[in-house]
Amino acid sequence: MAKVTVNGIEVEVDPSYTILKAAEKAGISIPTFCYHPRMDPAGSCRICAVELEDSKRVVMSCVTPVADGMRVLTESPKIHDARKTNLELLLLHHPLDCPVCDCGGECPLQNMSFAYGATESRFESHRNDEAEDLKSDVLVFNANRCILCGKCVRICDEIQDVHAIGFINRGFDTIIGPPLGKKLDCEFCGDCLEVCPTGAITDHFVRYKFRPWQLEQHQTTCTYCASGCQMQVETENESIVRVTSKEGLGPNEGSICVVGRFGFNHVQTPQRFDTPYMRVEHRLVPSSWDEVLPELASRLNAIRRKGTDRVAGLLSSRVSLEDAYAFQTFFRRVLRSNMIDTGARYGFMNAAIPLVEATGTLRPLVDHEDLLKAKVILLVGADPVAESNITGLFLKRAARKNRAKLYVVDSEAITLSTRASDHIRIHPGGESLFVGVLSEEISSRGNLSAEWLTRKEELFKNWNVDPGVFQRLVNDLKSAETGIVVTGRKMFRNENASRSMINMMRLIGSLGWIEKEGCGILPIPETANDLGVLMMGATHEWLPGLLDARNESSRKQWENAWGTSLSYGPGGGLEQILQGIEEGRINALITIGENPIGHFPPGSRVREILGKLELIVALDMFQNELVDMAHFVLPASSSFERAGHFVSIEGFVQKSVSTMAHWGESLPDWEILEKISYAMGNPMGFDSSEKLMAEIVRFLPDLSPSTRNGEHFVGGTGDIHLVKPLDSCGFANASDVKGVGGLSLLKASGSTPHKANRESVSSRFRSWTEMSRPIMNATSGIPGEGEFIFSMSKSLFHSGKMTLQDPNLKKIQPEGKLRINRQTARKRKIKKGEKITLTSAHGRCSFVVEPSPMVSEFELVFPEHFADAQVLALFPPEMAFSPMTGTPTTHRIRVSLSTETIS
Amino acid sequence: MADVKHAEVTYEDIEEICEEFSNREGAVVQILQKVQEKYGYVPADALEFVGEVLEIPKSKMYGVLTFYSQFYQEPRGKFVLKVCVGTACHVRGAGLLVDKIKEELHIEPGENTEDMLFTLEPVACLGSCALAPMAMVQGTAYGKLSADKMVSLIRQFEEEAEKEEEPV
Ligand code: SF4
Ligand code: SF4
Ligand code: SF4
Ligand code: FES
Ligand code: FES
Repeated sequence: MAKVTVNGIEVEVDPSYTILKAAEKAGISIPTFCYHPRMDPAGSCRICAVELEDSKRVVMSCVTPVADGMRVLTESPKIHDARKTNLELLLLHHPLDCPVCDCGGECPLQNMSFAYGATESRFESHRNDEAEDLKSDVLVFNANRCILCGKCVRICDEIQDVHAIGFINRGFDTIIGPPLGKKLDCEFCGDCLEVCPTGAITDHFVRYKFRPWQLEQHQTTCTYCASGCQMQVETENESIVRVTSKEGLGPNEGSICVVGRFGFNHVQTPQRFDTPYMRVEHRLVPSSWDEVLPELASRLNAIRRKGTDRVAGLLSSRVSLEDAYAFQTFFRRVLRSNMIDTGARYGFMNAAIPLVEATGTLRPLVDHEDLLKAKVILLVGADPVAESNITGLFLKRAARKNRAKLYVVDSEAITLSTRASDHIRIHPGGESLFVGVLSEEISSRGNLSAEWLTRKEELFKNWNVDPGVFQRLVNDLKSAETGIVVTGRKMFRNENASRSMINMMRLIGSLGWIEKEGCGILPIPETANDLGVLMMGATHEWLPGLLDARNESSRKQWENAWGTSLSYGPGGGLEQILQGIEEGRINALITIGENPIGHFPPGSRVREILGKLELIVALDMFQNELVDMAHFVLPASSSFERAGHFVSIEGFVQKSVSTMAHWGESLPDWEILEKISYAMGNPMGFDSSEKLMAEIVRFLPDLSPSTRNGEHFVGGTGDIHLVKPLDSCGFANASDVKGVGGLSLLKASGSTPHKANRESVSSRFRSWTEMSRPIMNATSGIPGEGEFIFSMSKSLFHSGKMTLQDPNLKKIQPEGKLRINRQTARKRKIKKGEKITLTSAHGRCSFVVEPSPMVSEFELVFPEHFADAQVLALFPPEMAFSPMTGTPTTHRIRVSLSTETIS
Repeated sequence: MADVKHAEVTYEDIEEICEEFSNREGAVVQILQKVQEKYGYVPADALEFVGEVLEIPKSKMYGVLTFYSQFYQEPRGKFVLKVCVGTACHVRGAGLLVDKIKEELHIEPGENTEDMLFTLEPVACLGSCALAPMAMVQGTAYGKLSADKMVSLIRQFEEEAEKEEEPV
């Protein structure tokens, strides 16, 4: 430890500290421009100058390490002069156009110039009059206001690892911008915008539309992906102007992605439903809650009286814990139905079911911090940058700065594969096969039959796996001090997904990673609350707390908790719901932000099946195919308008707050359900989202809000008091639960509250019997001559289908383009932007192509968000579901390509 | 100014150049020089491909490219008329030479003729002040120039180009 005195205040700090950090500890702030806590120091702007009392030397505090006994002055006449001169030099070329600058009012340069009285330049100078770079729809570069601190370039290089902008020219003429005079082409995270201390980078979407000091800030949680970013939604007169982030805040530490930063405008577009609609003689007519509710209630009551499981429900997994809890309560308690499912069924369920069975929890074994400590990371079947951007950032950092060995197994090159020590470019769809072989290799501990080895060799040859690299991976995994497997969407959307997940569990089990701190598996949920809605029991398998919904004793526990008897039927998920409707056993469907038609090929009869329903009720924000069939359309408020809690990939339970008034007559989903239950004469009794959360936390204290800094709160929102960390595993088997007068359970333990409790995970895991044998085939196989595998991916610039309605994100990515290998495109003489046609055994569809070095020569990849009926027509019309997890299983299809276009 | 026709660059060609320098990151400047030798300028595609081969981001490549004034980002004429406008040449009438070329070829400094035969490029002192006013074309210095001499020089280059184009 080093003793340092800053302005007379003595602090003890680690000798590795800079003066700046020591001063911070002493509670003294030193002005900075080029310093940034998450980046390597640059020491270039010189504004952080301080004086060493003993030697009278002036040093840059952001780069100078402390020494024991050092005495520092952060303010002195000498320092004041140095800073003033410095500012004057910075202002030498500055246009001083603060009145028209969007940065004015929140500009460190402006503030500091004011503070040091450097409002005018003593130096003879000419003002820069470089034209603004307005080519990008997203960011505007104004070189004249730039002080060349380099933070934008560095954050893009060091934190985002995108390298989209750089210094151009030299000396006097140096400017910042994208290369080649082209329009900015990057990930549009906006981090550069956030760190720029001047108005040199501004937000093009809101250019000249606001003054920072007039905006109201709402700190909230982003509800797009599972990263769970903390961000500021800034509003003026009940409308959102922009979204910003705060350095260091939340699991995202101040970075947010393009969707979080710019994807807010769809909630304030006129296309949104602002009133309830009712179908009258084949037409949807605008109505009111007063009119709609009694009518709907009486029709639901009539159907409910016919028996249990008569009404089915499909819930988006993007809703809050409160909504999900109310949803399952409404179905199980009011409608007596267990025919419920969530959007997680399309993918994440393939991970969730094996996870819950093997470990008893959906809380992760590891979090982002663990990624930074891992020595080996196996990333298989996921593109974290697009799926959970902050997970991606941490992985970038792990590989780049912490030199973790990163193995990527993916047919496509992803952003992270450039950072990988090895990228196993297996043929499309082979990822599941790979983990099968790998888990067998590791768990057999060397006892492999000759037959197996031959098979392995053959597989590797056919699937493009280098045996040498495989061996290296095996060795690294076995010898790793700490290691983590990361997996995601591509793995979940694979016909063998759930078995692959089992294989991965078996793999980490054999490596001893279940018990070992810092090790484990991190599956990336597909939406912001996949974890939360499942923990709330919004699917037919589970009651809240992940208790088996068909188990008598779990049911009893909730009956005790709720003080009512539960008489729902056996129920079922998406597959059984469609079957039930087809066979006339289900008469009504209520959807919340879900549109099953959009998920299946047009030939699949989903529309026809749904046509048999007596009653369709759609809670949604925008028109879609299901809404077109609905008898009642109820306007749902967006996540920007309502409060609720979300469970992040790391297991944090975070609050998203209301940032603007409800759009028109729209209401939160839980409230709509509450109103319907009331009208049905069977009210659930939820009168505020706070009370709802309080009930959740009362029964499941483990789910009380928690944040990155390790605070753990107990009590519903609004009634929060800090307590000791509680047990983190929480979501457990019925036997753990002491059902005395409710479900208040769970023994306290000292572990980090957001992660799984290794002890209980381990005891469950070690008695888990379903150690399936590896899968040694993948049916989509390798394409033949002239054939390709067509598949879909998640785009970085969109989240689900809803953001297609967002004016900002639509500008960033207006259409879906088919990515084709660049070499293949050249060979076939297909140019960027041209149209081609794909033909499968089931249909034909035209696409605009985008040649890319990232996709392999065997595959064609299209962003899922843009997959309309025409695109889906390439897939087989039969609906196939996984027998183990009930998830739809068709994700890839063989196609041939021609350059003719169809009209 | 004419619509410039950009060079066809293939990834393979660039790979070859980079290999000459054993794909060394440190050799970026030399590689770009080689590229410029080959195409007469550094085409945007080439810059991108060099970046890809060496695994250097495009933004950093562009930083290097713009840092050095020797690199050109646009195709240039077959004959680049580097007219010295250094002090010695200036006082001896370099301005007249520039004006004459502008008038004769209808191009501004930095531009190419439509047939891509000529580029006018005023440059700083070329170190042969004794020959002022002077110009450098394809590595040859032409000294003690006058406006008329400049015109005949241009004619001479035009003829040369024509001859080259004639089928043998
Ligand atoms: S928006 Fe993000 S990716 Fe784009 S230039 Fe700025 S920091 Fe880089
Ligand atoms: S644009 Fe902003 S962040 Fe970038 S160098 Fe200039 S002042 Fe610094
Ligand atoms: S979408 Fe995900 S990564 Fe992006 S801001 Fe929201 S939570 Fe963060
Ligand atoms: S902040 Fe220390 S030199 Fe810029
Ligand atoms: S000034 Fe022209 S050669 Fe020196």
